[in-house]
Amino acid sequence: MNAPILTYVTFLPLLGVLAILFIPQQSESGKNAIRWVSMVISTFVFIVSLRLYFDFDPDVAGFQFIEKYTWIPSYGITYFMGLDGLAFWLVLLTTFLTPITILSTWTAITKRVKEFQIAMLVLETAMLGTFVSLDLFLFYVFWEIMLIPMWLIIGVWGGERRIYAAIKFFLFTAVGSFLMLVCIIGLVYFHNQETGELTFNLLSLYNTNLARMYEILFFGAFALAFAIKVPMFPFHTWLPDAHVEAPTAGSVILAGILLKMGTYGFFRFAMPLFPDGSAFFTPLIVVLSIIGIIYGAMVAMVQPDIKKLVAYSSVSHLGYCMIGLYVLNRHGVEGSILQMINHGISTGALFLLVGVVYERRHTRLIAEYGGICRPMPIYASIFFLITLSSVGFPTTNGFIGEFLILLGVFEVNKAYAVLAATGVVLGAIYMLWMFQRVFYGRVSNPKNEKLKDLNRRELAYLLPLVALVFWIGLYPNFFLSKMHSSVDHFISQVKISAPASPVAVVEHHASVDKTPLYVSAAKE
Amino acid sequence: MSDLGFSFSLSQLWQVAGGQIILIIAGLVLIFVDLWLSTDKKPDHVVTMGWLTALSFLVALWYMVCPGWTLNEIVVIGVFSTEKFAIFVSAVILMAGIFASLMSIGYLRNNQLVRSEYFILLLFAVYGAIAMVQSVDLLMMFIALEVMSLSVYVLAAFLKNDRRSQEGALKYFLLGSFGSAFFLFGVALIYGMTGTVNITKIAQVLSTGSFLEHPGVLVAMAMLMSGLFFKMAIVPFHMWTPDVYEGSPAIITGFMATAVKAAAFGIFIKLLSVTFTPILAYSGQPEFQSTVNLAAMAVYWKPLLWWLALITMFVGNLVAVSQQNVKRMLAYSSIAHAGYMVLGILAANDEGRMGVLFYLFAYTLMNMGAFGVLYLLDGQEGKAQTLEDYHGLGFKYPTLSFLMSLFLVSMAGLPPTAGFIGKFYLFAAAIKEGYLLLAALGIMTCVIGAYYYLRVIWMLYMVEPSREVVAGRVGVTSMIALIAAALGIMYLGILPEGLAQVANVAQQSLAMVF
Repeated sequence: MNAPILTYVTFLPLLGVLAILFIPQQSESGKNAIRWVSMVISTFVFIVSLRLYFDFDPDVAGFQFIEKYTWIPSYGITYFMGLDGLAFWLVLLTTFLTPITILSTWTAITKRVKEFQIAMLVLETAMLGTFVSLDLFLFYVFWEIMLIPMWLIIGVWGGERRIYAAIKFFLFTAVGSFLMLVCIIGLVYFHNQETGELTFNLLSLYNTNLARMYEILFFGAFALAFAIKVPMFPFHTWLPDAHVEAPTAGSVILAGILLKMGTYGFFRFAMPLFPDGSAFFTPLIVVLSIIGIIYGAMVAMVQPDIKKLVAYSSVSHLGYCMIGLYVLNRHGVEGSILQMINHGISTGALFLLVGVVYERRHTRLIAEYGGICRPMPIYASIFFLITLSSVGFPTTNGFIGEFLILLGVFEVNKAYAVLAATGVVLGAIYMLWMFQRVFYGRVSNPKNEKLKDLNRRELAYLLPLVALVFWIGLYPNFFLSKMHSSVDHFISQVKISAPASPVAVVEHHASVDKTPLYVSAAKE
Repeated sequence: MSDLGFSFSLSQLWQVAGGQIILIIAGLVLIFVDLWLSTDKKPDHVVTMGWLTALSFLVALWYMVCPGWTLNEIVVIGVFSTEKFAIFVSAVILMAGIFASLMSIGYLRNNQLVRSEYFILLLFAVYGAIAMVQSVDLLMMFIALEVMSLSVYVLAAFLKNDRRSQEGALKYFLLGSFGSAFFLFGVALIYGMTGTVNITKIAQVLSTGSFLEHPGVLVAMAMLMSGLFFKMAIVPFHMWTPDVYEGSPAIITGFMATAVKAAAFGIFIKLLSVTFTPILAYSGQPEFQSTVNLAAMAVYWKPLLWWLALITMFVGNLVAVSQQNVKRMLAYSSIAHAGYMVLGILAANDEGRMGVLFYLFAYTLMNMGAFGVLYLLDGQEGKAQTLEDYHGLGFKYPTLSFLMSLFLVSMAGLPPTAGFIGKFYLFAAAIKEGYLLLAALGIMTCVIGAYYYLRVIWMLYMVEPSREVVAGRVGVTSMIALIAAALGIMYLGILPEGLAQVANVAQQSLAMVF
């Protein structure tokens, strides 16, 4: 614990950037060298981050691996990092997915390899930094840095309408996060007025007592920034564009990790900082999540493009994560966290799989395929396993996540649980239907007859994901056991620091939807 | 220390005006060096002159900062003073001057302009700007303002064969004179009212209360401020900016947007905090504590600045979006940046003044950098100025494009660059004073800003080239300047505390001008 391991993990990728800068990319061997350096560095980051697993103490409710140094003392800004049960898994997910993604770009990205790998590694640093920062300023810096490499990945290496998609992605995110900056500063000065202490330290700011109006206002701004990132209905419109236009690697990182920053932001910042505001918006967010679940699934069903289908399925899956967070009981929140990891794995894998056929056929339209079970049996089997995971089939990870969330919602409000559960059914419909159309039947398109099955490199990056699908599915306690204390702490933070108001708010809104959310929570 | 009385020793004079004296001597010497060099019309002599100019700026900078910063008390002789605020702003101006002279060497060569009076004009422009921020006397301010402006008018018209340059310079001259006239009229009014042109003495007279809310004083204040708004390019006094910035030589545009603006912002802050918010100046000096509310003047200029900040940010950013010419786009964006700085002045607290100083410094780095790359990407002829000409240059000229992107990202206010930290300071200052709404509206204009800055980057990297553009030859001097600017931006973006402390000390010195 003495070594500043979080700093190492966060900034190691930049070392790779430094190395890559000096490799010329004119020749094919130079390009390969760049890919290898990037691969080796990101794998090394993963190995270093595994160290976290052995040192992580699941009984601690607060933060571990704390690193704190003054950075900009006149504003009380510190370089403050730490991990809890959620950030821990998200960091591991990031370090795990990055080398896999980089391995998938070997033949997919052949132009401007150097710049691409640099963007990937900078992105990794920014993502890791976002998850480990406990200082609002530091968090914001990483959060914003992340935008530029992702913007470039979509815009430079993307498809036909890449520029439109890239700038849409950027502007949507920027509107939310710029407003969030104003509210961060506002919060800091309110805290300053109250305690005389000027600090961006998240742990101190948790204890700020804001006037109710400002809680609602600030929560609104934070929630907007995070809801765009999640993305929650109706702020999701940038997502299908970004996913469809982004190169495979970009989609995997976007779906696997970037979207988690939205839910992570709710968990770490928006909800515990402004419990009153959060309670005020609870009905709205729950309803929007349910709409997202159903709407995402229905829109996914009619997509002719596999990638767009997967993109809309993300809207649906992330709806589960949001409603799970908002039921504020252990089942729901843990299910939500697990579902974030699940979504990273299965949707990441789906994008990778789509990328595999796209590289061979340069189309993603379902109509172009059909019967490719025959030329590509191994591919079809892996695709099937991942499909099962995505629809929440028992023994896969998706089942555990969705089950826990639905259980949590059921404890609170049965009607919501029923509505949310329709998403599972719809999910099975659109995924299996798509699978059927792509893989079963006769090979309808002669171009598909000679498709090559997966090669060793492709297997190398897909098999770890399949293994994880079943690991989580069969032995979820391995993952859940690390979360218990942090989740309990989170629930107590969001509930206790607003002792009277949730009831009041719920009563206030009960007149609207007649369904108080906190009934069972009160019984506990 | 009587008015204009020469009751000071030579060493005191040197102490206060040493930097200015160095610049004047350098200017005079360079005129002769130029005459002597230009006997054999070699293009090399532009290089020599450029280096000599940069060297003079460097010596002046060293002289102003090294002995000047160590002084613990403020020396005032006649019309000049040595407060650290003036030293800081002067340092920014000199820095812009160094960048401008280094980059101009390449610029003049690229455009086949072998005329070195350019550098002498630049020297006197910098001299004027420094004299302006160092003066504590409205008349001296006016004279220095004119010295600076006249030099810059000529520089703006330097592209003899380009009609846009001529048009811009004429506009600049006419409207600039208009602005100067406003300023002078304000000086006259205030002199008639208070019987003095010394800014501290005006404050003393005002604090007695008799003229505090007198309409004449308010009109005078409005006049003085309007005159400066012209130079600061605050909406609605910005009309000249796009034409002038587009027509002028690229480096001079960068210089106008940084040094001239820094000087104008410098004396604007000085006037507001010393003369028109006397409460600041008198803190801790009980003999000046009169019965009237000394902050009364702020009631008049604060709402004004609130609106001006808002419309400046909006107009600057919104109009920039529709520009196809990159130089013109940067001109409008410089208006928006002035709006952000007004936010800091409006806050009128320590953080705000510190933020403005920090931002001036950071903005000088990124803006000079951007214009330095701009003239290179504009090609051999300097004709390729539209967004279309930038298509696909990113992978053809990786170093230049990377630098351009860095400068633009910094202007867009994204971390980890100086531009982000600067904006953070300004917005934090405004939010501290409770201007939450203005800050939220302002930050939304930053989103618009981010859009058009990123548009240049996407033209560079994401679009295939549509026509052949050959970038200018990158000289050693330009490269030195560009890399220095880039490193400065990154350094300040990651470790801003050092400069912020210095800026804070500088702004605190305003309270001690008496």
